[in-house]
Amino acid sequence: MSTRITSSMTTRSVLSDLNRIAAQQDLTRRQMSSGKAITKPSDDPYGAARAMSLRTDLAGVKQHQRNVDEAQSWMSATSTTLSSITDLAQKARELTVQGATDTLSQSGRDAIADQIDQLIAGMKQEGNATYDGRYVLGGSRTNTPPFDSALTKTDPSVTTNDAYSGDAASQLREIGPGVTLAVNVHGDEVLGGASGSTGNLLGVLRDVATHLRSGDTSALGNGDIKAVSDQIDNLLAVQARVGAGMNRLDTASSRLAQIEESTTSMLSNTEDADMAEVITNYSTQQAVYQSALNAGARIVQTSLLDFLH
Amino acid sequence: MSISTFVGIQTSLRGLLAQQRALDVTSHNIANASTVGYTRQEVNLAATQPLNVNAGGMANGGMLGTGVDVQSYRRVRDQFLDLQYRAQNMQLGDQTARSDALQNVELSFAEPGDSGIQNALDEFFGSWSDLSNSASSGAAKQAVIDKSRTLAQQINDLQGNLASARQAATDEYTQTAGAGGQINQMASDLSTTLNAIRSAEMTGSQPNDLYDRRDLLLDQLSTMGQVSMTPSAGGSFDVSLGGVTIVDADDTTGMASVPAGAFPLSYTTSPGGKLGALLDLQSSTGPIASFQTELAAVAQSLATSVNSVYNAATGTDFFTFGTGANGLPQISLNEPTVSVTTLAAGTSGPADNSVALAVSRLQGGDADARYKQLVTRMGNAVSTAGRQQANAQVLADNVKDRRDSVSGVSLDEEMTNIIRFQRAYQASARAMSTTDEMLDTLINRAGRVGL
Repeated sequence: MSTRITSSMTTRSVLSDLNRIAAQQDLTRRQMSSGKAITKPSDDPYGAARAMSLRTDLAGVKQHQRNVDEAQSWMSATSTTLSSITDLAQKARELTVQGATDTLSQSGRDAIADQIDQLIAGMKQEGNATYDGRYVLGGSRTNTPPFDSALTKTDPSVTTNDAYSGDAASQLREIGPGVTLAVNVHGDEVLGGASGSTGNLLGVLRDVATHLRSGDTSALGNGDIKAVSDQIDNLLAVQARVGAGMNRLDTASSRLAQIEESTTSMLSNTEDADMAEVITNYSTQQAVYQSALNAGARIVQTSLLDFLH
Repeated sequence: MSISTFVGIQTSLRGLLAQQRALDVTSHNIANASTVGYTRQEVNLAATQPLNVNAGGMANGGMLGTGVDVQSYRRVRDQFLDLQYRAQNMQLGDQTARSDALQNVELSFAEPGDSGIQNALDEFFGSWSDLSNSASSGAAKQAVIDKSRTLAQQINDLQGNLASARQAATDEYTQTAGAGGQINQMASDLSTTLNAIRSAEMTGSQPNDLYDRRDLLLDQLSTMGQVSMTPSAGGSFDVSLGGVTIVDADDTTGMASVPAGAFPLSYTTSPGGKLGALLDLQSSTGPIASFQTELAAVAQSLATSVNSVYNAATGTDFFTFGTGANGLPQISLNEPTVSVTTLAAGTSGPADNSVALAVSRLQGGDADARYKQLVTRMGNAVSTAGRQQANAQVLADNVKDRRDSVSGVSLDEEMTNIIRFQRAYQASARAMSTTDEMLDTLINRAGRVGL
């Protein structure tokens, strides 16, 4: 006996077909409106895990980008400070050369010595430069000024404490996974270093002022000019180091931008819906749905009753 | 043996009556075409006892048919398909309950996206990295505190949601299988129906519509678990669900009843069906419980790894991990020990960021990997459950179609039958009037030659 097709079978199969097509349409509609192929882990468990990894990677890259930006700002603040100090040091060198001339009167040398004191005070003030409220030359002691720059208007030379009160700690910024860069310069590398060290610019200038006041032109001419020049060379070397660091940050930044772009596109490939495909699917499903409705309506309505009288 | 003159009329009358019964049954089928659980019925017609008549010169040499009679009203049903359907329906009940519950669980993960735990983890580690950029900044410290609180809260919330999902399965089980619950109600209906069937059968009748009622109840029970009906000594049936007797027929009187104390139902082995799925979902060894365990492992790994870095530098833990007031594993920021004022980005000097750097480097570590594994495993479980549910649905529909093909009402067929029975009725009536006319000739006209 062939299979009997009963009314309930027809109704059920028409209904379940319509439901199935409607469910597919709903999924497609969800993909269209969200633009995502994966909206739940169960849509594609491995794809979802990959998307989550990529999101973490992306968050990491953006974080490193932020770190690089922050490090760049820090280093550019440092660089500005160092060039100001260099300018002041150049000025001090000119004054030293001028003071070493035997033809200058002692009162002229005293005036130059006063100017040197002013320059020292100015350098210490520059050495206390801050970025975002933090002292950039203080090592890890960023909340206290590394140099004693208290001044009185009448006698700027009153403060003679030239010691560096910061420390020698490096400030590390993570600019890539596991890659750190020390962004800071310590004050005693350029100013306020121990006597005889390359960072003893303040000490050298104090000597210059003393020699000027005592009229010791031979000391000025024989040793001091060279000592000041050496300190300027040191300043330029430190500035070059900062510049190299900034270059490294630029490279890191553009590399991070590339990684961000490729990660974003991988994430998009993983979890975004292919709109052309989704829209095509939707039209196909709509056509199928309409023909299923049409067929269903005809099959369910027709009966032998229509033809009996 | 000679036969009565009026045999023909009697024969036609039997024909009329039988066709009328057949039409009645057709009407009953049509009326119940959309009744759930209805089985189409058929009139079983058979020729009545013939009369021995003279034939071929011998007494009783032939038999003369005397017409038709209704032998029985047959219920067209294949018991084997019933068993197949119930087995499949049990699978469907199991997979549907499982898939529904797991889909709810999946929603509470909110992955992949910006509101899930993954994002909170990323932001947590990001806030440490920000702190490493400005180690003495109060705002950066506040951000670390806030992100840590949010992360801990989100993990605890998900842990709570998973616990609620298990509780929901427990509640549904209680409502379904408890005393006075849905199954208890069905068992009472079933025992009443079985008793009605038994009294009808004792009078020799065949209560087709009561059989339908019984089979429909068994179909509905099969969603809940493994249902089986076994004949009992007293002449009725015992019914068990997942091995536990829910309708017991007395061995002597045959009276069926729900055994006292059978509800709430409790099982040592899985009863299958929806009950089996609910028991598995709520169980401490079930799928949801395993997600809870893995989530707790994520939280513990996070707490341990962050603490090992933070404690080594500062001597205090950053996170605490333990059992919360609700009895669930709980991770929280070690407050008030850790606060904006005490939070240390480093140990030496205000700009030391060694701790912040070390913590931010934990990103993508064990806790991250465990969480991703958990989401993958959960996603797989949900998609497998969905697929199995769809398969079970297709198989159940197939068996149902095969059963409907045997037992369902086809209106076209019934309409054809109406015509068949109507024509047979008309023909019987014609035969009767023909006999009547013959008798008219015999009674009113014979022997009146020449009158």
